[in-house]
Amino acid sequence: MVKTRTLVTIILCILLLAIAASLFLWLRPAGGRVANVYLDGELLYSIDLDALTEKKTYTVETDRGVNVLVAEPGRIRVESADCPDQVCVDFGWLTDSAAPIVCLPHRLVIQLTGETDVDAEVGG
Amino acid sequence: MRRATLTALSLALTLALSSCSPAPAPQTDTVFAMDTVMELTVYGDEELLGEAQALIADTEARLSVTREDSEISKLNKTGSGTLSGGTAALLSRALEICALTEGALDITVYPAVRAWGFTTGEYRVPGEDELSALLKKIDYAAVKLAGDTATLPEGVLVDLGSVAKGRLGDDLAAFLTENGVTSALLNLGGNVRTVGAKPDGSPWRVGVRDPFGESYLGILEVRDVSVVTSGGYERYFEEGGEVYWHILDPATARPAKSGLVSATVVGADGTLCDGLSTAVFVMGLDRAVELWKAMTGFDLVLVTEGGEVYITDGLEGSFTLSGDYKTKELQVVRRG
Repeated sequence: MVKTRTLVTIILCILLLAIAASLFLWLRPAGGRVANVYLDGELLYSIDLDALTEKKTYTVETDRGVNVLVAEPGRIRVESADCPDQVCVDFGWLTDSAAPIVCLPHRLVIQLTGETDVDAEVGG
Repeated sequence: MRRATLTALSLALTLALSSCSPAPAPQTDTVFAMDTVMELTVYGDEELLGEAQALIADTEARLSVTREDSEISKLNKTGSGTLSGGTAALLSRALEICALTEGALDITVYPAVRAWGFTTGEYRVPGEDELSALLKKIDYAAVKLAGDTATLPEGVLVDLGSVAKGRLGDDLAAFLTENGVTSALLNLGGNVRTVGAKPDGSPWRVGVRDPFGESYLGILEVRDVSVVTSGGYERYFEEGGEVYWHILDPATARPAKSGLVSATVVGADGTLCDGLSTAVFVMGLDRAVELWKAMTGFDLVLVTEGGEVYITDGLEGSFTLSGDYKTKELQVVRRG
């Protein structure tokens, strides 16, 4: 009987752990937006935007050219760049994860992580 | 007691399994090609991504107008050329789409696109004389294709950019499906191809970008289709208070002002969807609806300058407005 009781105790522990794990996974906050900066597909910076308290500037310089990024609490943008089309600068502030900022000539991508309700975005 | 133990054990196991989802991890890749950035998400073997990359590289090498050694560049340079099977087939399909849109899509508009600076980013507004000279060289019907041999009249240049990514999506989807993949999302730079549904069986959710804002205006829930949007709000320039965007009307050699600011085409044939998205943007609402009524195999999401959103009835139930657009009335276009 002692053996059975031990078994029951173990099972109850597993059960409790399982419930705790489920609750943790279901209820953890979706916030903590992180901006991942990729250069040619490789992760260059990972910036926790919600942890920022003040403006921060990052300069990304390669043979292809220069992009100056400005991160603020909750958002990030390309402030200036020497690319010909200026698409990355014109994009403005990146605040959601649906579409990234892309500087094609410099192969730079800034993508926000975090909850989004779409898998991809189309635009023109 | 034993039964109680078993019951408790199975309960614990069920809970433990359900609390962490067993979905397989996707293979992902970022590819810079064809003047855009592509995101591939494939539920399957990692090796497939390498082969997908090779397919993308091959497509770009054959079709790029900016690469001097591509089949299209050589054709443009010499006025004639023997094309590979894939390139000839795509040129043939593109010419068909030009014809069925009555020239709203025209693959020979390229010299005009170049003159406006949209290929280099060095934007300018060509003068009247220059535009009328350019206009004379826009004529898809002058492109001759006999077997795999194409010929162009003097001064006529072709660009398959309006269908290349659509065809690439079709080719990638076919390749992945042949290799047993039942779930993939191929984002070829705003030109999205879905394979199957998500691993959990639910449809892929594709946001259609809001032409007037930074988020999206609605969400499409789709499987096994291409979704392609053409709009005037991402590549444009301003001069003298006027906005000039990159989609030109082949009938004027000027930016197409049809009353639409965004045209999305959804359908199983990605090549057709890609070509039609440009054509529909040029045609405007009424002509686009006429074309849709005369054909099958695709559906439309159209946004007018006034911010009204129209869908064709095949998308009823799979398109929902979101964000600021939730309060708007969705106009549903029906056949008949």
